[in-house]
Amino acid sequence: MATYNKITPEIAGQLKAVVGEKRFFMGEDIDPNYSHDEMPIYGKYLPEAAVDVETTEEVSGILKICSANKIPVTCRGAGTGLVGGCVPLAGGLVLCTRRMNKILSYDMDNLVVRIQPGVLLKDLAADALTHGLMYPPDPGEKTATVGGNISTNAGGMRAVKYGVTRDYVLALTVVLADGRIIELGKSVCKTSSGYSLLHLMIGSEGTLGIITEMTMKLIPNPICDVSCLVPFRDVESCIHFVPKIKLANLDPQSIEFMDADIVTSSAAFTGNPIFPETVKNEDVGASILVTFVGSDEDELDQKMIRLGKIAEEAGALDVLVVATSSNKKAAWAARSSFLTAIEADTRLIDEMDVVVPVDKIPAFLIYIRRLGEEGGIRIRNFGHAGDGNLHIYCCSNDLEEEEFKRRVKIIMDKAYTKCAELEGQVSGEHSIGHAKMVYLRESVGEDVFRLMGEIKKVFDPDGILNPGKVCDAALRS
Amino acid sequence: MLKILVCVKQIPDIDLVKMDPETGNLVRAGVPTLTNPLDLNALEAAVQVKESYGGEITLITMGPPMAESTLRECLAVGGDEAVLITGRPFGGADTLSTSYSIVKAADMEGRFDLIFCGKESQDGATGQMASQLAERFDASQVSCCLSIDEIGDGKLRATRVLETGREIVEATLPCLLTVEKDNFYGRLPSLKDYLAAKTAPITTYTENNIDGLDLNKIGVPGSGTIVPKIYPPELPEPGRIIRTGSVKSDVAALMDVLTEKGAL
Amino acid sequence: MQKSDYKNMWVYVEHDGKTAAPVSLELCCELRKLCDKTGDKLFAVILGPLAGDQIEKILDCAVDGVIEVSGTGYEYFNTDAWANAFTVLSRKYNPSAIFVGGTVNGRDFAPRFAVQLDTGCTSDAMELEYDPETGDIQFIEPAVGGKIMAVITVPALRPQVGTIRPGTFKYAPAGRKEQVERIREEINFDPEAIRCRHLDFIPDESDPELDIANADCIVCVGNGLKDSEHLERYRTLAKLLGGKIGCTRPLYDRGILPYKLQIGQSGVMVKTKLYISFGVSGAVNHTAGVDAELLIAVDKNPEAQIFNYCDYGIVGDMDEVCDELIDQLRAAGK
Repeated sequence: MATYNKITPEIAGQLKAVVGEKRFFMGEDIDPNYSHDEMPIYGKYLPEAAVDVETTEEVSGILKICSANKIPVTCRGAGTGLVGGCVPLAGGLVLCTRRMNKILSYDMDNLVVRIQPGVLLKDLAADALTHGLMYPPDPGEKTATVGGNISTNAGGMRAVKYGVTRDYVLALTVVLADGRIIELGKSVCKTSSGYSLLHLMIGSEGTLGIITEMTMKLIPNPICDVSCLVPFRDVESCIHFVPKIKLANLDPQSIEFMDADIVTSSAAFTGNPIFPETVKNEDVGASILVTFVGSDEDELDQKMIRLGKIAEEAGALDVLVVATSSNKKAAWAARSSFLTAIEADTRLIDEMDVVVPVDKIPAFLIYIRRLGEEGGIRIRNFGHAGDGNLHIYCCSNDLEEEEFKRRVKIIMDKAYTKCAELEGQVSGEHSIGHAKMVYLRESVGEDVFRLMGEIKKVFDPDGILNPGKVCDAALRS
Repeated sequence: MLKILVCVKQIPDIDLVKMDPETGNLVRAGVPTLTNPLDLNALEAAVQVKESYGGEITLITMGPPMAESTLRECLAVGGDEAVLITGRPFGGADTLSTSYSIVKAADMEGRFDLIFCGKESQDGATGQMASQLAERFDASQVSCCLSIDEIGDGKLRATRVLETGREIVEATLPCLLTVEKDNFYGRLPSLKDYLAAKTAPITTYTENNIDGLDLNKIGVPGSGTIVPKIYPPELPEPGRIIRTGSVKSDVAALMDVLTEKGAL
Repeated sequence: MQKSDYKNMWVYVEHDGKTAAPVSLELCCELRKLCDKTGDKLFAVILGPLAGDQIEKILDCAVDGVIEVSGTGYEYFNTDAWANAFTVLSRKYNPSAIFVGGTVNGRDFAPRFAVQLDTGCTSDAMELEYDPETGDIQFIEPAVGGKIMAVITVPALRPQVGTIRPGTFKYAPAGRKEQVERIREEINFDPEAIRCRHLDFIPDESDPELDIANADCIVCVGNGLKDSEHLERYRTLAKLLGGKIGCTRPLYDRGILPYKLQIGQSGVMVKTKLYISFGVSGAVNHTAGVDAELLIAVDKNPEAQIFNYCDYGIVGDMDEVCDELIDQLRAAGK
């Protein structure tokens, strides 16, 4: 196990010299939020010091000092993660990129944008729009940093059509653990040039290097879009509809799944019941929200007509159209509120972000519900039906925290075993952090897990980068 | 069967309307339009009545030809017939002349038992249309209606929202109602109705084909009010902006102000 | 029609028999000033019996006269009898202008008698001016969500009808006139002809959190609020400051907070010691409803109009500033 040193006043002075007094914090001046992400249930850990960096050179300077002194460095963006990824388990230094929030330049001929890692997802999306462009990945948390999205390979609702964050990263500037600055990737569409360290870096959660600049691919913004809500009597028939949408060659931009419980909480939360709880006097058990994009209204109408046909065959209660700007706004506000609606009326919460083959979704959901009932834990879920990625939340308002954790652990253990049985993966888009490491290990097996550890050592021999995360089991054992 | 009229209006997205600093006129060109949100609540109330008591819903609007899209949007969520009043002479109307034009055109479609209106439009926001239409339709009126509790025997019972409580009223038909949104959030159209609405026939009236229309009572000549002038709001001098470099120190400075002014 | 044939201005006194509505008194006070410019006499019009002490209060607003209407049909507010009374009276006396408080019921019947009289009606003016050249009142009001101010006139018709929101004008009685005209009219409206009849009234349960008109401190949240999930911190702040939370119209429209917390011309007019706004742009419709001894504004847009109305402003992320303020208040032992 790696051993680390404390930040002595002398080291603190060196660090302060790199970023200046105003962006170096110690003791009480450290933002207390730096001790956790959005899942405080996984524990709070305060760093000894924190820096707000602004340039690649500053990051390099900081890492040179930290590697020379064996100080752990945990990189942090907006802190919106859900697996304790940016939490400084071993203390040391938190290096925050939130001030590196500049959109540097657009290349309108090649449709790429160069940005700093602290740019917020919503700001990139909005800014690209003013250029007539779209940044396709659309993770639910719009106030996450794009740097964080890359470090976790975030997915989101539009992954069905456009893929995930990984597919839009062309090049990265990375600072290695010892402070060396390297460039990975180029602004080109294809490459067959050796091992892709670029793709190794994507989703590595700050354990292999610190990303300080990114070149991202954009696409022309679709001319028009429309969404359809397809309500079903029950979860099973609803999920069985998903592969049919794909097979019908409708090329949807997103296929989102929501069950009756989440629709009810969201309506209570946003105050606008845009998703119906009953259709034609029948209770809706679950619904699919499908979004299409196209170059004119006729094209979208044709797609909707085909969707209508297969929906009827699949036993849908109806197909409802979200076409006006007001309805779109309300529908996406409701969809985006799912997690916060759960958080709003829940005191204790834990989550899993598994991904299973699409046809296995009903089996998994039914299983997890039974686990919840048996274990006395309220289960809430929604997810990206189009790619089998499910967000499952274990909730409680009345249990003591320790008892909650005990019961949830039993559920989680069984659920991940079931997930493996169904040929699924531990995380679709939230990644591993420290919260999911055991489950990753079980899921990938010892050989693969050890290989990951060996790779980590090549990049970061002293283990100073984000200790205790992904495959760094030593810290915990 | 109840004959129901729902009055709707297409409005510019007022968040996007700007004032031309040179001319002082409002720039509406290129600004996206939408159906006045409160009108959709009125339509939903009408649809709920139709579902409970049976009926036929006629939509009516006055505006430029593109207001047709608002009618189609409303046809998709429960409207049966749609009427568009359009033509240059109707332009520039205030509520006095608009209410006249709408009632004259609606008369062409027969007598209505119930008339629903939004409480006010987001752009004009006078909130006068409902009462003025009620007068011209010679109808009773129930404004700020929270729920329609019963309809039958040529009357209805409804609950109104007042400043300090709720009033239960009984009104004779024909009756005009404006509604609160609480119980009347709009619904999504079903695909079948959405597609059908795209090609549904729309009855169009101009100044030339409305029986007994007095041209002096429409548009600008028929208006009681005019807007001789608009201007940007005069703003007071800005207050003191606290700018110290960080949120922490800004707030610390604010704390000093609050303490000094005895606000804590 | 000769405009010069129409003289004097009227204020409708809304009442429940025991108390005259504050807005009616406010209107009497404001119209006194206007009538002094125009040379018109100011009359208060009262439908149905009103307690004597309240009539005294109206007289204290320097009205030149009172028209008291008795008869059938005035037991409880109804549009038919009310609109009819004003139409009958107006045809008899030819007033130049009639003002009605913009309450729910005021807004219900005023536009209706305007149609009966075939005249122009305006809503929600914030200022009233007189143009001696035309003899018209200028009703000045915010339009298009407060982006512009519009001057509205009734150039050819009479009476000029206007509804004015409660709280727009100050109640500042100018004292009693030496001579006051007392006119009594009997206008009977057949109760059977009332088409919308009052059956019952259920008062709202009073919720102190929703009663913000005179709160000492108000934390007002505007459209800058991302989502209802971000609201809780503002409630916390309000609690720490011993105040209440309020909002601007978009937040009510978005279904995030109830109408009773909407501050501004079309909502509640507030009078408060400390007012802190977060993410409020400062549209006139809103600021017109705020009377604060100390106004603090926080918004990320340095150009936001609210900074023109504040005493102190902070340009920054509303949530961050709120969180920091909560921290520092707690640290200060609040």
